[in-house]
Amino acid sequence: MDALVAGAEAFIQVFRTAADVFVGFTTGIIPIVVVFLTAVNALVKFIGEERVEGFAKWASQEGAIYMPVRYTLLPFVAVFMLTNPVCYTFGTFLPEKHKPAFYDSAVSFVHPITGIFPHANGGELFVWLGIAAGVEIVAPDMVTALAVRYLLAGLVVILIRGIVTDIIYNIMTSRRAGVE
Amino acid sequence: MQALIEKIGRSVGGVVGTLFQAGRDAVDLCLKTIIPFMAFVTFVIGLILETGVGDAIANGIKGFASSLGGLMIVCIICAIPVLSPLLGPGAVIAQIVGVLIGTEIGRGNIDVSMALPALFAINPQVGCDFVPVGLALGEAEPETVTVGVPAVLTSRMITGPISVVVGYLFALGL
Repeated sequence: MDALVAGAEAFIQVFRTAADVFVGFTTGIIPIVVVFLTAVNALVKFIGEERVEGFAKWASQEGAIYMPVRYTLLPFVAVFMLTNPVCYTFGTFLPEKHKPAFYDSAVSFVHPITGIFPHANGGELFVWLGIAAGVEIVAPDMVTALAVRYLLAGLVVILIRGIVTDIIYNIMTSRRAGVE
Repeated sequence: MQALIEKIGRSVGGVVGTLFQAGRDAVDLCLKTIIPFMAFVTFVIGLILETGVGDAIANGIKGFASSLGGLMIVCIICAIPVLSPLLGPGAVIAQIVGVLIGTEIGRGNIDVSMALPALFAINPQVGCDFVPVGLALGEAEPETVTVGVPAVLTSRMITGPISVVVGYLFALGL
């Protein structure tokens, strides 16, 4: 009988702990996300699609000089303004041969951005939040610094991804052309 | 005069309407996506913390997530072109592993300095399942998609490990 009670106790304890964590997330994360989402959603609507598209046309030009713009600023603006998954429609403005690299660059940014701008990918917050929740326990004053660094490191990574994918795509297309 | 009042009234109405709609979208996303996933994640955390499962996972993860070399191995495995499209959908795998590693950081089993490289190590497969759709959204030609898919998947084998190193460098001095 005692064993049964102990078992039941252990069983229910899982859900008690889970519920505590849930309450912590609900009071800690949800309010700020809701307010932030509202503000950014409104901002995006006020700025308007036309202005964003004008920028996209400028940023997606060909040539090596535009590479840092094409694979850092353009994905940033796309993910920030249009959010995942609509951000990939910016590919429309790019020359055909740069589209795979832009996709690679943009999609790799949908998690690094969530540390500071959770609205950009509300459905996949827990890549960041999962790890941030742990850091919050050990070193609460480091979470914001970590979020900023995640964003900056993300920008470096998407630039590298854009460049490398461009090179690989070029090699693959020329090989295909050679075979045919 | 009447025209002015009408103009002011209309623009104020427009602003309020936009803000209200923005709030509605925000709450919608919270209720339909964020809270359901949160429920699932907190249940997993509860299991990890209260059962022996946690310690078993901890030992497994600790070996990989507490050194740069270990994270590299995780990253290379996740970036294998056959695996990456399978691991990608909804970032579910990345999110679960993120929670697992986060929980271990919280328990003090993994050093905080590994948080940033880990964020990249568990995620070289991001969007690998979505390449054709993503390219189609950008109105790419079918031929671009045919070459673009393997190009992106191959690229991740190289840029995955690089991203872990970038994460490691950015975490220095934290």
